[in-house]
Amino acid sequence: MYAQAFFVAVFGLAAIGFGVVVFRTSSMVRSALALLFSQTAVGCMFLAMQTEFLGVLQIMMMATEMSIMAIFMVMFMMDPGGMGGMDMTHQKRFSIGAGVVAAGVAIVVAFWADWGPVTAEAPDAAMQTRALGMELLGRSMLIFETAGITILTAMIAATAVAIPVQTTANSADKEDTE
Amino acid sequence: MTLVLIVALVTGAILFGIGVYGALSQTNLVMIMMGVELILAGALVNLVAFWRFLHPESYSGQMFVLVVMTVMAVEMAVGFGVAIARFRAKGSVEMEEAGDLKG
Repeated sequence: MYAQAFFVAVFGLAAIGFGVVVFRTSSMVRSALALLFSQTAVGCMFLAMQTEFLGVLQIMMMATEMSIMAIFMVMFMMDPGGMGGMDMTHQKRFSIGAGVVAAGVAIVVAFWADWGPVTAEAPDAAMQTRALGMELLGRSMLIFETAGITILTAMIAATAVAIPVQTTANSADKEDTE
Repeated sequence: MTLVLIVALVTGAILFGIGVYGALSQTNLVMIMMGVELILAGALVNLVAFWRFLHPESYSGQMFVLVVMTVMAVEMAVGFGVAIARFRAKGSVEMEEAGDLKG
């Protein structure tokens, strides 16, 4: 039990530490990498809590997502390396206050709430994966299918939004230059 | 065992707070999305802790985690689509220059 608490705390501290680095470094590429490490630490917390399938899924998903995010950072930022030391923040005091209040309220609830009996034993990894598969293709199939359709819709919508709009004026300009 | 649950819940709460700070304080669209990712990561930690320590017999908790992961992926896809469109139109994804979106 203490070993589990130790590893959950260590990975939790790593997730928090890298989460702070995301908004503290001036290099946006470093921010993306710090977020990758933070999310990986969250995945490791899942593994320490004996949720193997979700832990591995989290690490794999976030590795891909954050790599893409780093590429977008380099594409879109005026100063991706942070060499200019630009300040990219606004309403700092309000944001710090909102963050502290949000975290504080959640911590108070965590300590004060009566969570009821806590279960010591978790099902083993193979049993968990099997039961989750049965859940996905049984009782929760509609939710699972809806999630899939939502991702597909988002992919199509994102591609449609990103494609440049061909207006008549644009086409005329192109023809003129040719 | 309650100790592990409390450690996980406090970690989730702090990640949530850092995410709220990031989403509100950053001026760049991609950095705001990073804040939202941290908020969702805090929610994920709580959901996994609740499943593991309070209801490991019911797999609806793990299903909920998968739904939140879907939300993360959708947020990234739509956010980057909007970022590309904005960058094409205005040459920047700075949100302080996006006052014209107010309507």
